[in-house]
Amino acid sequence: MSEKMNLSKGSNPADSMIWNFKLLAQDPLNGFGNVGEGINMQIAADGRRILWVAHESAPTNFTGIDVSDPRKPKVITQTQLPHNKMRSNSLDVVGNTMIVAYQTRDVGMTPAGFDIFDITVPEKPKLVSHFDTSGPHSRGVHTLWFVDGEYVHMASGAADFQPRNPKDDQMYMIVDVRNPSKPVEAGRWWAPGTREGDSEPSPWVTEGKFPVGKSGFRCHNTNVYPERPDRAYVGYIDYGAVILDISDKAHPKVVSRWASNPPYPGWAHTALPLFSRDLMVVSHESTKDNGADWPKLVWVLDMRLENNPMPISTLPMPPLETFSKRGGRFGGHNLHENQPGPAAWRSDTIVFSTLFNGGLRAYDLSDPFRPEEIAYFVPGAPPLSRVNAVQINDIFVDDRGIVYTVDRFTGGLYTLEMNF
Amino acid sequence: MAEVSNSSGRDPLRSRIPVTVITGFLGSGKTTLLNALLQCPEAANTAVIINEFGEIGVDNDLVLNVTESMTLLDNGCVCCVLRGDLEQALLDMFTARRAGGIASFERVILETTGLADPAPIMQTLISDPMLALHYRLDGVVTLVDSVQGLAQLKDNAEAVKQAAVADRLVITKSDLAGPQAVEELANTLKRINPSARHAIAIDGKVDPTFVLAVGLDRVRVQPEAVERWLGDAPSAHGEHHHHTHDISTFTLFFDEPFEKEVFERCVDVLASLRGADLLRVKGLVNVVGENGPVIVQGVQHLFHPPVTLAAWPSADKRSRLVFITRKIERKTVADLFSAIAAIKPA
Repeated sequence: MSEKMNLSKGSNPADSMIWNFKLLAQDPLNGFGNVGEGINMQIAADGRRILWVAHESAPTNFTGIDVSDPRKPKVITQTQLPHNKMRSNSLDVVGNTMIVAYQTRDVGMTPAGFDIFDITVPEKPKLVSHFDTSGPHSRGVHTLWFVDGEYVHMASGAADFQPRNPKDDQMYMIVDVRNPSKPVEAGRWWAPGTREGDSEPSPWVTEGKFPVGKSGFRCHNTNVYPERPDRAYVGYIDYGAVILDISDKAHPKVVSRWASNPPYPGWAHTALPLFSRDLMVVSHESTKDNGADWPKLVWVLDMRLENNPMPISTLPMPPLETFSKRGGRFGGHNLHENQPGPAAWRSDTIVFSTLFNGGLRAYDLSDPFRPEEIAYFVPGAPPLSRVNAVQINDIFVDDRGIVYTVDRFTGGLYTLEMNF
Repeated sequence: MAEVSNSSGRDPLRSRIPVTVITGFLGSGKTTLLNALLQCPEAANTAVIINEFGEIGVDNDLVLNVTESMTLLDNGCVCCVLRGDLEQALLDMFTARRAGGIASFERVILETTGLADPAPIMQTLISDPMLALHYRLDGVVTLVDSVQGLAQLKDNAEAVKQAAVADRLVITKSDLAGPQAVEELANTLKRINPSARHAIAIDGKVDPTFVLAVGLDRVRVQPEAVERWLGDAPSAHGEHHHHTHDISTFTLFFDEPFEKEVFERCVDVLASLRGADLLRVKGLVNVVGENGPVIVQGVQHLFHPPVTLAAWPSADKRSRLVFITRKIERKTVADLFSAIAAIKPA
């Protein structure tokens, strides 16, 4: 006889919840199922589809998975980091070139920066070069964006960058990799007042009902698209979402900035423009367990005037009552970012959002004032997860419409079909 | 903001949970059929809605009454006893599903009471905008008992209506009636509703796919699914008329495409003049400017919001509308279309 249902309590974290997705396969990635926030796909010369993922923490660096048959993913490459006080977390792929971020636990450590690999033979990634951003105040690169084969846009520290507050240690940096064996910095921008020596005052507000800056004023995602190669769409944590004019890469200029904090809790993560709709979707990352930093929301902005972003709605969230009790973090994080390139699916209408224990959710933005949830996938707690709940961390959708989503701790990769 | 781009957009049919309505007169064997159906793997993850506990579709032994109105069956299905509003029950179930309070059901089977007129339930399912966000009417399955069926159809207008609006007809208790009685019933049903395919249940069992996969579940649909949904409609000039019950079934074909507004006007006028007697309308309409056919579905005076399929199921791009009516003849509807649209049915 089945167990009694109780609709008033949070749901059982062991149970899967699924609607309008079909689970094709799960792969714990040889027991290293802790995936970060870098996923991209290579279509190899022989036609195989290789999904590359960066890991959230040591000891694993990155994993290459043959997902030609998404029902039978197969790990073909898995590499280790040089030491355990660092992580890769982020990567991107263009053609047969992969760039992997390195972030150290503490400032002053190495290797911090990124590596460029030749992945022509996916089983044998070949190191081409290393770009060093280590320094006495730097932890290296947290996330990077590389889609045009020429420039890397990233959140990084640098040897010569001393933040006023240690939490402000990642700026936006552009690196020219047109000669992959000799990457060179092409430009940088940081929130005014966050670098030692800036003439502007620090944006930190420590007093009052709504302190701002507790999570730091530092760069997170740095998206640049072929539709607007002169714009960078940047999530800058407590500084909000920033649109930068990068037509002169050496001197990025602010076009506009939108921050939900205060009064919302900040942590702007990803700014995803939907060009054909004049919309932008901005996610905020949850960083505390059990709903303690609720509400970390995903906002929809009207961008008809790019210098005046106007919030018009938020993506509906599943019930706090249920998910704050399911274990681990619950709230916004990554989006499918409509990556350019032959292997990614793109839509200006449907948005995928990962919500940690709230799973993967798909939303229809046909009416941007009233986004509608149209699908969800909340797998049951993967074995050995330290929060006893799934923590869906990132998402990538390929051009075939196959959905890849990953757990932050142990669940590894889930491949799904869209049913909508 | 710019126009919505349709590329990589959402399929308006695919993301809706299908609802199957099982209807049939008292004693027609709905309980037995439902019980047998829930044992099939094809019916896993089903939420069952029944009208009242006395008529529960599953044995009481198998039922755990958990909340006031929702019950978990031992095969993992959810059973909800409908005490009030169907719309509210379906929305509550969706909310509970989303909150993880109940299993992630993939379909709903709604068992009506024997005396129920299925039309209001169908209307709720095709026209309620809140429900339409999450659910779609997959099909109406009407059970008719071979022993009592003929008499019920003769004496009771509701029994006739149940058969007339069905997508699928299931003849039950054939083992208790002779083959001749079964054949006579089958012929009568064919006259009342020639478009619905029918099956004979053996010990209350039918092929689950016969009753559970009836409707259109995506706009990029296979041609045979469209045929299956339209049913065995009469051909262009055929008209079935069942005199005893004043039920007519006919199909109108139109060679010329419709302007959208003109078609809407035709439907509006028809529904406002004769809505009560328009038992069921299904069809594909060729609308100017659309790549695929617009699917039309109506019950009496209410119509489903139009959905355009990705492509025509065959080279034949004529509009076709199947009507099941009470006391309305083919000519009346054809004349109305001719008058408003200046398009003569072929």
